[in-house]
Amino acid sequence: MRLIENIKNSPAFRNILMFLAVLGPGIVTGSVDNDAGGITTYSVAGALYGYNLLWTLGPAFIALLVIQEMNLRMGVITGKGLADLIRENFGVKVTAFIFLGLIIADIGNTATEFAGVAGSMAIFGVSKYISVPLTAAAVWILATKGNYKIAERIFLFFSFCLLFYIISAVMAKPDWQEVGGAVIHPQAKFSGEYLSIVLGIIGTTIAPWMQFYMQSAVIEKGITIKDYKFALLDVVIGCVATVVVAFFIMIACAATLNKNGVVIREASDAAMALQPFAGVLAAQVFAFGLFIASAFSATILPLATAFYVCEAFGFEAGIDKRVDEAPQFYWLFGSIVAVAVAIILWPHAPLITITIWTQVINAMLLPVVLLSMIYMVNSPYVMGTYVNNKFQNFIGWTTTVVLIVLTAMLLLSPVVAFFKHV
Amino acid sequence: MGEQFFVYLFELLGKPVVDRDGRAVGKFYDFSMSLNNDIYPRAKSIIVCSGWFPRLYAEIFLVDVLRVEGKIFLKIPASSVMFQAAKIASDFALRRDVLDQQVVDVENKKVVRVNDVHMLKVDQQYHIAHVDVGLRALVRRLDLEPWVDAVIRLFHPAADYLKAEELVSWKNSQVLTLGNQKNVLKLDVARAKIAKIPPVLLADIMRDLDIFEQLSVFRSLSYDVQLKVFADMAPDDKAGLVGLLEDRELVQIISNIPSDEAADFLMTIPRERVQQLMRQMESQASKRLRTLLGFRKDSAGGLMATEFLSLGVNATVADAMNKLKGAVDYPGSFNTIYITDDKGRYVGTTTIRRFINEPAENRVIGTCHPHKVFVYTDDGMEKVALLIEQYKYSAIPVLDENDILVGSITVDDVMEELIAMAWGKYKDQI
Repeated sequence: MRLIENIKNSPAFRNILMFLAVLGPGIVTGSVDNDAGGITTYSVAGALYGYNLLWTLGPAFIALLVIQEMNLRMGVITGKGLADLIRENFGVKVTAFIFLGLIIADIGNTATEFAGVAGSMAIFGVSKYISVPLTAAAVWILATKGNYKIAERIFLFFSFCLLFYIISAVMAKPDWQEVGGAVIHPQAKFSGEYLSIVLGIIGTTIAPWMQFYMQSAVIEKGITIKDYKFALLDVVIGCVATVVVAFFIMIACAATLNKNGVVIREASDAAMALQPFAGVLAAQVFAFGLFIASAFSATILPLATAFYVCEAFGFEAGIDKRVDEAPQFYWLFGSIVAVAVAIILWPHAPLITITIWTQVINAMLLPVVLLSMIYMVNSPYVMGTYVNNKFQNFIGWTTTVVLIVLTAMLLLSPVVAFFKHV
Repeated sequence: MGEQFFVYLFELLGKPVVDRDGRAVGKFYDFSMSLNNDIYPRAKSIIVCSGWFPRLYAEIFLVDVLRVEGKIFLKIPASSVMFQAAKIASDFALRRDVLDQQVVDVENKKVVRVNDVHMLKVDQQYHIAHVDVGLRALVRRLDLEPWVDAVIRLFHPAADYLKAEELVSWKNSQVLTLGNQKNVLKLDVARAKIAKIPPVLLADIMRDLDIFEQLSVFRSLSYDVQLKVFADMAPDDKAGLVGLLEDRELVQIISNIPSDEAADFLMTIPRERVQQLMRQMESQASKRLRTLLGFRKDSAGGLMATEFLSLGVNATVADAMNKLKGAVDYPGSFNTIYITDDKGRYVGTTTIRRFINEPAENRVIGTCHPHKVFVYTDDGMEKVALLIEQYKYSAIPVLDENDILVGSITVDDVMEELIAMAWGKYKDQI
C-alpha cells in the first residue's frame, strides 16, 4: 500500500496523469492525417518506388510538427480557433475565400473517405450500398448523441487501430536491411512521376483543414498554458504516429507489390493485391485499417468543417451542444455528410475528377492559411509574449515557403496532366 | 429619421485621406476611441495606413479632420503626419477590438459576430451607436449586396432580409474578456430576442450624450426631425435641452407645432422662461397658448388645439374649397370645417367628404352633419372619447361657456391620452 501511495505522490505519476488529461488533439489530428487519401498515396508510393520514398517522411514529420506546434500555441494563448483568429485579423473577405474553398474541398475529402469505406468493406464482401449508409448513420449518431469526451475516446481507439498496419507490414516480411539502407542513404530520382509522388506524400500529410481542426480541438479540450508542455508531447506523439503508420504502409506495399511489379491505383487495390503475397489475414488487416481510417476521417472532417465555419461566423458549435443549441453547426455537418454519401452512391460519379479538384483547392488554400498563421503567430497583439522566437520563425518560414513551392508544383502537375488527357 | 447622422464603419474603411492641399496621405484604417465613461464611446483619432510592404500607420486626431465627403479631408499638411511601421498602440480601437469580434448573449452563448459598426456622426465627432450583427451587413462587406438583393427581390420580394437591419445598441453591449478570449462583445439580452430589439431612436442616443453634444446634434437636425426628436424625448431630457436652446429657436419650434402640443411642452419648462418666450411670439399665438395653459390637462380644454378651420354661415362650397387649399401646411386637423355665426358661436360641422361633390355656388352650411356634436372646455376626456367613438368623427369642436367655438380636439389627441392611461393600468396589473 505504501508503494502505491508513493507512486501516487511522485511527480512522475502526476505528470503522467496531466499528460493523459491533455492527450487527444495532437494524436487524433495526426491519425486523421492517415485517412483514405493518405493511405492511397503511401500505398502507391510503396508499390511504385519500393523503399525509395521512405526518406520523405523525415521532412514531412518536421513540417507537421512545426505547424501543429504553432496551432497549439495559438489555441492555448488566445483561447480562439484558427477560424476565429482569421476572421478577427483579416476580415470578412479573406475568411469567405478560405471557407468557401474549405467547404468545397472538404465535401470532396469526405467523399474520398466514404470511397475508402466502400473499398475496404468490399474486401470483406460488403456492398457499398450497405457499408456507406451504415457508416454515415453511425457518424451522425456519434456527433449528435455523443459528447466530446466519448467521441475523443473513440477517436483515440481508432488511432490505436491504425497501428495494425505494423502487423500488416511485418507479415509482408520485408528485408529490414534494405529498409534501413533506404532510410540512411535515400536515392532520389528526378523523374516527373517521382516528384509528383513526393509532393503527394507531403501534400497529404499537411492539409489546410487540419490546422483548423487541431486548434479547435485544443480549445474544446480547454488546454491552458500550464498544460502546454504536456500538450506539446501529445502533438509530438501524434506526428510520430502519423509517420510511423505511413512508414509501415509503405513498407508493406514495397515488400510485396513493388517486388512483384504490381501496379495499384487505390488503397483498396493494395489490400487486394497483398493477398497472394502476404496472406489473407494481412490483406484483411490492411483493409480493416483502411476502413477504420476512412470511417474515422469521415467523422472528423465534416465535424471540423462545420466547426470552423461556425467559428468564423460566430455561431455556437461543438458536439457537446444539443442540436437546438447549435443548429447551424449540425445543419452544416449533416449536409456535408449527405452530399459526400450521395456522391459515392451515385452510379458512375466522376471520382477521379473530384479527387483532382479537391487537391487543387487544398493546394490553393494552404499558402493562404499558412501565411495567415505565420502573420498571427508573430503578432504581439494576438500572442502577447508568446510570439515566435527567431528559431521558431526560421523553421516556420522555411516550412511555409517549402510547402508553398511544393503545393504550387503539386497544383500545376495534375492540372497539366489532366488537361493533357483532355 | 436622421439617416444622415449615422455612418457604417465599413463605409469608411479604406477611404482615401488627403491633406489640406489635396495631397494623398493614406487610407482610413481604424478609429482609436477615447476611454471614458461615455455610454456611446467617442472616437479620439483616426488611424491611417499607407503602403503594403512595409505597411505604415499614423494617428491623426479628429480635431485635425476637416470633413468626410467621399474622401477624408484633413486640416493639416501631409508633412505633419508621422508614419511608423508599428501599429498604433491604442487602448481601444474599433476595427481591432470590435469589428468581427464574437458576440455572446446574456448566457455567454455564442450568437454571431460583429459584422459592422453603426456610428453616430455629430459635428465631426463619431460615437459608436450600434453594432450590426445582421446577415445583410456580412453580404455588404463581401461587396455582394446589389447582387444578393437583386436575386432575393426576384424570388421573394417580401423577404425580411431586405428590410431587417440587426442593430444592437451599444448600450446593450459590453466588451469583455471571457476566459482567455479577448474582445468578446457581451449583450445583456438573450439570443432569441436579439432580432426583436428595435434600433434605438436618435432621441434615445441623445439622452446619453453630454448636454453640449445633445445641443449640437439637435441643432444640426432638419426642422421636422427636430420636432420628432423632441416629441420622443423624455421630459427631463427635454428640460435639459431647453435650458440650452436660445429663445429664438424655441419660439420657432413652439409656433410650428399644434398649439395643444406646444401647451404640453410649455408646461414642462420653468414659468419665467415661458413668460420670456411668450413675449417673443406673435401676439395671437401667445394668446391662444395662454388660454390653453389655463385648462386642466385631462379636460377638453387641455386636449384641444386652438387651430381649426371655420367659415361663416353664408360661406359657399367654393369658399370651403379655397379654405382647404390655403391650409395644406396647417398644423391642425385639415378635413373638418366648422361653421360659426357672426359672434363666433358654433353652428355646425362639415367635412371635405360631405361637400366635395356639391355645386360650388351652394351654401356650405347645407352640408353640415345633421347632429350637432360638441363638448365644453371643462368636459372630461371620457366624454370626448365616447362622442368620437359614437359618431366616428375625426375631430370634435370645443365651445366655451358662451357657446363660442374655441378649439378642436382630434382623434389622435384623445388616443395619446387613452393609450397613456391604458398603459398605466396595464403596468399596474403586471
